[in-house]
Amino acid sequence: MRIQQVGIAGTLESSDITIHIEPNEGKGIDIELKSTVENQFGRQIRSVIQETLLELGITDAYVRANDKGALDCTIRARMVTAVNRAALGSYSPWEVK
Amino acid sequence: MWYTSFREQVVNLQSGIERKQLQAFLERQSLSLDGDVEYAVALWDGEKLAATGSLSGSVLKCIAVDEEFKYLGLSAKIVTHLVQEAYLKGRTHLFIYTKPENKTIFTELGFYVIAEIPSKVVLMENTSKGIKNYINEMKSESAISADAAAVIVNCNPFTLGHRYLLEYAAARCRLLHVFVVWEEQSSFPAEIRYKLVQQGVQHLDNVMLHKGKDYIISKATFPSYFIKEYQELVKTHARLDLEIFTQHIAPALGIKKRFVGEEPYCKVTAAYNAAMQEVLPKHGIEVQVVPRMSLEGSPISASRVRELIRAGDIHKTKELVPETTYQFLISPEAEEIIKHIQSMNKRH
Repeated sequence: MRIQQVGIAGTLESSDITIHIEPNEGKGIDIELKSTVENQFGRQIRSVIQETLLELGITDAYVRANDKGALDCTIRARMVTAVNRAALGSYSPWEVK
Repeated sequence: MWYTSFREQVVNLQSGIERKQLQAFLERQSLSLDGDVEYAVALWDGEKLAATGSLSGSVLKCIAVDEEFKYLGLSAKIVTHLVQEAYLKGRTHLFIYTKPENKTIFTELGFYVIAEIPSKVVLMENTSKGIKNYINEMKSESAISADAAAVIVNCNPFTLGHRYLLEYAAARCRLLHVFVVWEEQSSFPAEIRYKLVQQGVQHLDNVMLHKGKDYIISKATFPSYFIKEYQELVKTHARLDLEIFTQHIAPALGIKKRFVGEEPYCKVTAAYNAAMQEVLPKHGIEVQVVPRMSLEGSPISASRVRELIRAGDIHKTKELVPETTYQFLISPEAEEIIKHIQSMNKRH
């Protein structure tokens, strides 16, 4: 998938994370993270974001994340949704076929 | 009181009752419902209004939480809702206009300070790179001279008066940066205003043209400018706009002087000019007011040109605008704009 427009997912409420993702054509992956638990989990959050992008086959993206202490599964879910919206895709693995 | 028990509801701004309710609530928080608000959301606790926030273009404003419901994270809920609404409308570069005491709240919600007028107002944006990118972009496409000056123009449309101002200024500095106001609030679209300025200053070698974008007299930096009704707030907004200019733009481009056309008509612009003369010299930027160029006793202005267009006397604009602008006015491209001006009945 390729990021074609700006996509957003998530909220600013406690235990959630807001993911904003936009095109970064040819410039790789750029993550700007702001987290209430940056010192403890900043590295972990970044790696979850990186991994999710890798799984989805995204090589170029500018990701802005505002984290309020989300668990890894939440981060992953918000990432998938944001990417899906930004890639105008129909990747929805949660749906029953 | 549990957080999820609040009812989230979009305010119907067309409804007199709902609008009044919202106004009364904001007034209790010493805020007011700005005239340009286009979307508002509220959180209700039963029949009681607990929190609200609004959207105007790309600006989040009039955000307030009732004293009784503070510290429950309601502002996060409001901001989340407004941000999602703005994204749905395709607006992703967002601003917040708020009191300085709320700065920390919005910092936590992912906003970054652009400029602040202590104890009055602070302007924030939802990216840490916004203004930095704008400045870097300008720097990369522009020559830099230590002896530079600036003029900010709307040019709705470009007249001989504007040309006179720019020629006057360009003759008095090594490099002249001209910023065209980018907000789409004028009869002539920004791209066209820009193009007409570009064509009109081709004979001036030391003029560098820029798009004003979000940071120069925009709905974010100077909301009351576009409401065009004089109010006390104008002074604060003007100072905020000038703060961004002196803190970010002028130092990056080495601007030491600002030229401005004398303003005989518009009270808002006159207040802005007055603020400029007060604030800029304190930051080492000289301000020079240039008298308007006149024709047959009255000053040449873009509003005079629009007046003629409205009256259907397009050929009479010939003596008020440069050839390039005139050619545009009689071209098929201008038809829509002219039709629109003729159907309207206001100054801008």
